Amino acid sequence: MEILGLVNYALFMAIFIAIYALLALGLNIQWGFAGLFNAGIAGFFAVGAYTSAILTSPAAADRIGGFELPFVAGWIGAMCAAALVAWPIGKICLRFRSDYLAIASIGIAEIIRLVIKSEPVLTNGARGISSIPRPAGDLGYMESQAAYLVIVLAVLVAVYFLVERQFNAPWGRMMRAIRDNEPAARAMGKNVEYRRLEAFIFGSALMGLGGALFAHFNRSITPEAIDPMVATFLVWIMLILGGSGNNRGAILGAAVVWIIWSVSEIATDRLPHEYAVQAKYIRLFLIGLMLQLVLRFRPEGLLPEPLRGDRRAAPTERDRS
Amino acid sequence: MKTRFLALAGGLMAATALASVPAKADVKIGLIGGVSGPIAAMAPAMIDASQLAVQQVNEQGGIGDGEKLVAVVGDSACNPQNGTDAATKAVNIEGVAGIVGPHCSGAVLAAAGSVTIPAGIVMITPSGTSPEITSLEDKGTVFRTVPSDDYQGRALARTMKDMGYEKVAVAYLNNDYGTGLANAFKAEFVDELKGEITQFAAHEDAKASYRSNLAELAKGGADTLVIFDYGDGSGLTMLRQALENGFFEKFVGGDGMKSEAIISELGAENLGSFVSSSPVGAKSKSLDVFNEAFKGIGGDPDAIFATTSYDAAFLMALALEKAGGKKEGVAAAMLEVSNGEGEPILPGEWKKAKELIAAGSAIDYKGAAGDHNFDANGDVPGTYALWEVGSDGFELVTEMK
Repeated sequence: MEILGLVNYALFMAIFIAIYALLALGLNIQWGFAGLFNAGIAGFFAVGAYTSAILTSPAAADRIGGFELPFVAGWIGAMCAAALVAWPIGKICLRFRSDYLAIASIGIAEIIRLVIKSEPVLTNGARGISSIPRPAGDLGYMESQAAYLVIVLAVLVAVYFLVERQFNAPWGRMMRAIRDNEPAARAMGKNVEYRRLEAFIFGSALMGLGGALFAHFNRSITPEAIDPMVATFLVWIMLILGGSGNNRGAILGAAVVWIIWSVSEIATDRLPHEYAVQAKYIRLFLIGLMLQLVLRFRPEGLLPEPLRGDRRAAPTERDRS
Repeated sequence: MKTRFLALAGGLMAATALASVPAKADVKIGLIGGVSGPIAAMAPAMIDASQLAVQQVNEQGGIGDGEKLVAVVGDSACNPQNGTDAATKAVNIEGVAGIVGPHCSGAVLAAAGSVTIPAGIVMITPSGTSPEITSLEDKGTVFRTVPSDDYQGRALARTMKDMGYEKVAVAYLNNDYGTGLANAFKAEFVDELKGEITQFAAHEDAKASYRSNLAELAKGGADTLVIFDYGDGSGLTMLRQALENGFFEKFVGGDGMKSEAIISELGAENLGSFVSSSPVGAKSKSLDVFNEAFKGIGGDPDAIFATTSYDAAFLMALALEKAGGKKEGVAAAMLEVSNGEGEPILPGEWKKAKELIAAGSAIDYKGAAGDHNFDANGDVPGTYALWEVGSDGFELVTEMK
């Protein structure tokens, strides 16, 4: 095991964590702030990934594309497309509450996945789009990963500060008021439907951005990447484990879950061969077990939602109780 | 502060120096497969077949100067997220000299794009059939032992045209396998050969009834249905319902449809008008040798992709031997050990291959799944034949070109 190898692996994990942290932050706006149970993250992830892929990749036969725009345009396009797709969906589905919304959003994610698989002119169908350019992708292996990490981290930090600012702003307090007591918020003259739609669209745009970053990192996007297990439920586990309603919790959750998922395989590979292969199934079980334990012993997550919402004023002991 | 920095730098340098000392160590390869996920049922046989190649190499002298070949198994779960993760670990933590896998095309594309091509590691996949893999800008480092779906679809179109099929309807399963075959078939049959496809429709997996799909397909007035699907899944349902309701007279299938399940479920007497294509690997001497060896370790030689998995691992070992156990020369060596010229090497003949390589002679691996003469894109052409249903299972009709 060489040090360079370890550095490369750490860079890779950091990039993945940052991409999943973006998805978790998007979900945090929807679930943590506004209480919308969106179980269709994979759909918005896919819209973002494919939009950016189409906008930036070179021309290919039998499908639209060949715009070869710079990656920044692709990422902005990804956010816009995800937001545009979220708008009519939110308009119709946000009349549902909690579990009904979850069912509807799972269905919508499946519709998006099937459309992507069945429209070769738009997405190259089941084969997916490859040869997507990666920013700074011409450098060596480690340099390229490091450069991409810097870009992804810059995006994550910017998003974090913007979302955090919204959380502490009147808008954030209003969203939590709507979440916790809808009739009271309505009585105060808040337009509940409109605000819900806002949160849904903002969150979906961030998920689209996460998808775009993912596609450029792998230089390809295929329908296999929008499997609900890795693109929806894993993000939910990250947010619940980290602490819904807390932006730092969302990022921490992404880091903890991904590190356990990835590093546990290195540990189990030290076992004798016949157990090492079987142990790979245990990783799925471990994630589920972790979720159970968190829900049982710490349902608010590792970093709970700050009670007063405003972190700038240090909470005293009396405030907490 | 300064001394601490110096100590840290010194420590780092010492560690790097230690790590780069050429110790007589094992040569590692990564076996990355869909251990969990949608192909979890197929993966164990594929990994066992690759492990068989590793075991034979070690029993017959190992790599280079008696170094052991060690296979590290990684889980790609058949998706890009886990595929890139497994490949990164194999390359950086385990320090593998080459990767056999991943099993699914999406994972192959992602792992190649973000890990192995930048790192200069050779990857050879036993089951990634997507035509997208052909066009990867891979600096010659991505190979496969399974033909691209493009080859089979085009070969089938040419053979059918020669046999007098003119007007057909095409039904294909909506995944990369079905879509790839169907599009290649359509491109050759319609654009090159001027045949007619009356209906061209995808269908989803695991539905109870395909009668409405079939009624739609039958509308164009074709008497032949071409099915690109799996004969132990929805393809069987579709074929049964088409026979029951008399939608079509003749049926043609891709290699997925050449399944014993079709004969046992529908009965050979009802399948007189059914033909399907399949790799000819079916009756070479190499295949017999492999089947014996794989049965010897308790494997099922008919398991799907077992032969290509074995060949991929054995070819990787040959290329490593040729390159002296170093990852740098593996890509060039891969092309040299199986280009149709030189002394033929059959599966399991590691000792012979090792001596020939040491003597500097050219060798040519004849694999269990085919001859594997790589073209410039790292693809193999694949040889196919058309089969019909006879009294004892499938019987050869004609070779396909």
